Amino acid sequence: MDRRNFLSITLGSLALAAIPASVKAEDFRKSKPAVWTAHTIEDAIANMYGSKKLEMTDEIKLSVANVSSTDTKKKATAANGGAVPVDFKTDANVKNIAVLQDANPESAVMVIDCNEFSVNDYGIKIKMGKPGKVVIVAETTDGRLIGVQQDVDVALGGCEG
Amino acid sequence: MGSMRIKAKEKNGIVEVKTMFKHDMTTYNQAEKKTGDRENANFITHISGTVNGKTVIDMSTSQFLSKNPIITFGFRGKKGDELTLTWVDRKGETDTDTEKIK
Repeated sequence: MDRRNFLSITLGSLALAAIPASVKAEDFRKSKPAVWTAHTIEDAIANMYGSKKLEMTDEIKLSVANVSSTDTKKKATAANGGAVPVDFKTDANVKNIAVLQDANPESAVMVIDCNEFSVNDYGIKIKMGKPGKVVIVAETTDGRLIGVQQDVDVALGGCEG
Repeated sequence: MGSMRIKAKEKNGIVEVKTMFKHDMTTYNQAEKKTGDRENANFITHISGTVNGKTVIDMSTSQFLSKNPIITFGFRGKKGDELTLTWVDRKGETDTDTEKIK
């Protein structure tokens, strides 16, 4: 397995001894390469999850540029498109979580492989080259596909910065 | 010099981690503009973390994380254990660092 090789090189023999059986993580860039070249959110979801129906829900909480997606009165505006704060969490039992957007040439930002230690509460900063939307999609352990989205205005493009 | 900073603090069985990775995260478009070749793009493609040899965090990432990405996350763990984080980028470069959970 590539992953095992990679870890053995980086961590040396000490880590190698500790790794068998315990590492079940998935490298989605290798297992789902088409997700990372998809130009639209829809294509990225299709390549990641197949034809499974996406259910928009409040089971995932999303906040972009410190504006919560549940606050319909306020629209998220990012002052710096080079580092737009994206915070998301869910209490649902999920296998993985994907962060997608349509403000850059490709859609995928990251895919998290969840495990028994996961507390699914994340904060990241992403580039947004123009205004667009951020979508978080998660696959639950009982096989549902849940998602949440938020539109974001960007004051200054991130790709050129 | 390490390329990352890790802060890991446990509260009620949940370890809150704040980490910063020093990396340019050059996108394909930036690489094309600066060097004329999209293939010079380089960004972190995978971040993983282990405690006692078990994976506690595992992220596949793209060029659209910000430059010098800051990531916060949580996992179930305890004070005194050691969190080891490793990243690898598109060019195959990698770095790893370990921090005790406070």
